[in-house]
Amino acid sequence: MPEQTCEVFAVKNVLNNMFGPKICKQMPFGDAEFDKLGVALKSEINTIFGRSLAIRALDSGSDNSAEIELNNLSNPYYDVERFGISFVASPRHADILIVTGAVTQNMAIAVRKTFDAMPSPKLVIALGDDACSGGIASGGYGVLGGVDKILPVNLKIPGNPPEPAQIINSLLGLMQSLRKK
Amino acid sequence: MKIPELYNYLAEFLSPAINPLKLEKGANKDYYLWLDWTEAAALYPKLAEDGFGLIGLFGVEGFRGYQGLNLLYIFEKRNYSGTLVIIRRADSPVSSIAAIFPSACYFEREIRDGYGCEFENAFDRRRLFLHETYPANFHPLANSFKNQPLSLPAGVEDEALYPFKKISGEGVYEVGVGPVHAGIIEPGHFRFSAIGEPILNLEVRLFYTHRGLEKLAMGKDIDFGLKIAEGISGDESAANTYAYSSAVEHICSSRPPRRAEQLRLILLEMERLYSHLADLSGMLTDVGYPVGAASLSALREELMRWNKRLTGSRFLKGIIAPGGLLKDIPGELITELADYLYAFEGRFSEQVEKALAKTSVVDRFETTGIVNNRLLIPLNITGVTARASGEAIDTRLNQPYGFYPELSFKPPVLPEGDVMARFRVRLSEVQTSLGLILKTAAKLSAGEYAIPLKPVNGYSLILVESPRGQSLHWLWLRDGKIERYKVRTASYCNWQAIEHAVLGDIIPDFPLINKSLNLSYAGTDL
Repeated sequence: MPEQTCEVFAVKNVLNNMFGPKICKQMPFGDAEFDKLGVALKSEINTIFGRSLAIRALDSGSDNSAEIELNNLSNPYYDVERFGISFVASPRHADILIVTGAVTQNMAIAVRKTFDAMPSPKLVIALGDDACSGGIASGGYGVLGGVDKILPVNLKIPGNPPEPAQIINSLLGLMQSLRKK
Repeated sequence: MKIPELYNYLAEFLSPAINPLKLEKGANKDYYLWLDWTEAAALYPKLAEDGFGLIGLFGVEGFRGYQGLNLLYIFEKRNYSGTLVIIRRADSPVSSIAAIFPSACYFEREIRDGYGCEFENAFDRRRLFLHETYPANFHPLANSFKNQPLSLPAGVEDEALYPFKKISGEGVYEVGVGPVHAGIIEPGHFRFSAIGEPILNLEVRLFYTHRGLEKLAMGKDIDFGLKIAEGISGDESAANTYAYSSAVEHICSSRPPRRAEQLRLILLEMERLYSHLADLSGMLTDVGYPVGAASLSALREELMRWNKRLTGSRFLKGIIAPGGLLKDIPGELITELADYLYAFEGRFSEQVEKALAKTSVVDRFETTGIVNNRLLIPLNITGVTARASGEAIDTRLNQPYGFYPELSFKPPVLPEGDVMARFRVRLSEVQTSLGLILKTAAKLSAGEYAIPLKPVNGYSLILVESPRGQSLHWLWLRDGKIERYKVRTASYCNWQAIEHAVLGDIIPDFPLINKSLNLSYAGTDL
């Protein structure tokens, strides 16, 4: 490309970026059923938490499938940030602690410390069969059992693992029960 | 490609020092050799010199007429089909072989924790899966310990009691990360010693999610064993349930029906697809290219929804079982899947091509986190990491199993060993997996999807290529009950690569290197 055309091209590009129409391709996904859940959850979060809910996830001995589903909540299909939910890096920023997996002996201290680091008031959710009751690992030397063995649990979401829509549905139920209190 | 049999090679290799007739064939292509400690000690250096790798080492009590502890050393010679299992009794002092086979270091520490067996001349005698919260002289794998919940004193600080390697010198500082990390990720501790930004040393401490699965399996029935296999690592459920089922089938000397083998292949490759998509997406997230990451994670969600349609589980749980499958998958659904995957390839390629055209992505990927080829056999590094460091190994080809021998494919191999090579190997493997599923779907046989099994006594060693690399399962059944179920997933060995791969890179590149190696914590900790 000759030098001058190059410049013209660059200028055009810049102008287009600044003043041209912003086109967002129609997303090929989106699930009306899920969106309805999310909108309902958002309105509950608005009432109870003043617009946003900060969640800290903690693996206390899970097989990793529950973490994968929690991560999936942020993929374009679910994109739960739309509904005021954010997963935060520090327990000090969190309203809710979601614990996955039976609590192992090797993680027990870290689980307690994470909970203690959260400011009150705080809620704990046990996510997945193992977190709810200890699951297959219960009865052995390696685990204490379900999360309620060492933390006050406000909500149990069973499943191996629970699916994204189930998680959001359960969160909605929790918010509704909090509002009634 | 025909893979030569290890047995024929061994017969020649062992003689004249050891009579090859002493080799005893197991239920699969596992060849057992009982040696006393002097014979074994003389053989190890020869094995190492000849290119054998130590792929497993574990203890079994009460095995084959010896009530005490037996040590099983599993060796593989790359590109030979079959494994050599050297068994020695731990009735006299046992020497560490970590200086000959560095992969033995973790294994020996594990046996020491599990059974209390000391290894002479071991250079690392720290605890492995039992953290400091467990009392001294507690050895859970020994038969003398009856499995039960423990009530341990709260408040033992592991940190203070576990000696990490100290690096000192002017300007050297330590950064400790974990076990609780910033993201939604499994727990583990990383101890960096850095000088400026570059990493001088990294030590990884794992086993925070140690649930005691191996002990839980002891004495249980075959159905419970399947639950344990499924719970080893959530996104490796298909590979692990396959290996477990295959072990039971080998012990029973029966083969699942052809249709079951074909459907299993489809499930195993679906697992590889959704696993690789997560890694590719995660690597793009870690270099700050969210457009590509989001597109790939959307494709991955579609695959997980397909998993659900095929099996009822987004993680392919509750489908593969000894004898075949727990339920059939209708042929029409497989045809529909094939149509979907046919279109998937173009959508996938478009996204990765766009990503690799971004200089910001290429700049972060290239020359980052190099895994040196010379580490592969000594540390037993397998899977994508090995193939991206120039080693053409893939258990599906080297130790053929299931329906794989009827399909031809080549593993992608790249020499560089950096993050870019692992990204590119993964994306070619996605294409290979798509091809394997489409070919199998086109050939899908009618007929039974499972056969009944009558469990007998016996033991078997199974190797499978999970999305993370080669996993080893050894199962011993007696009267329909599990005597011992040993699992060594690919991550267990591959974790050791990261301590070498990060050296000289900067700490901010660590998450990217970690993601590119895709290491499972739960699969290592058990």
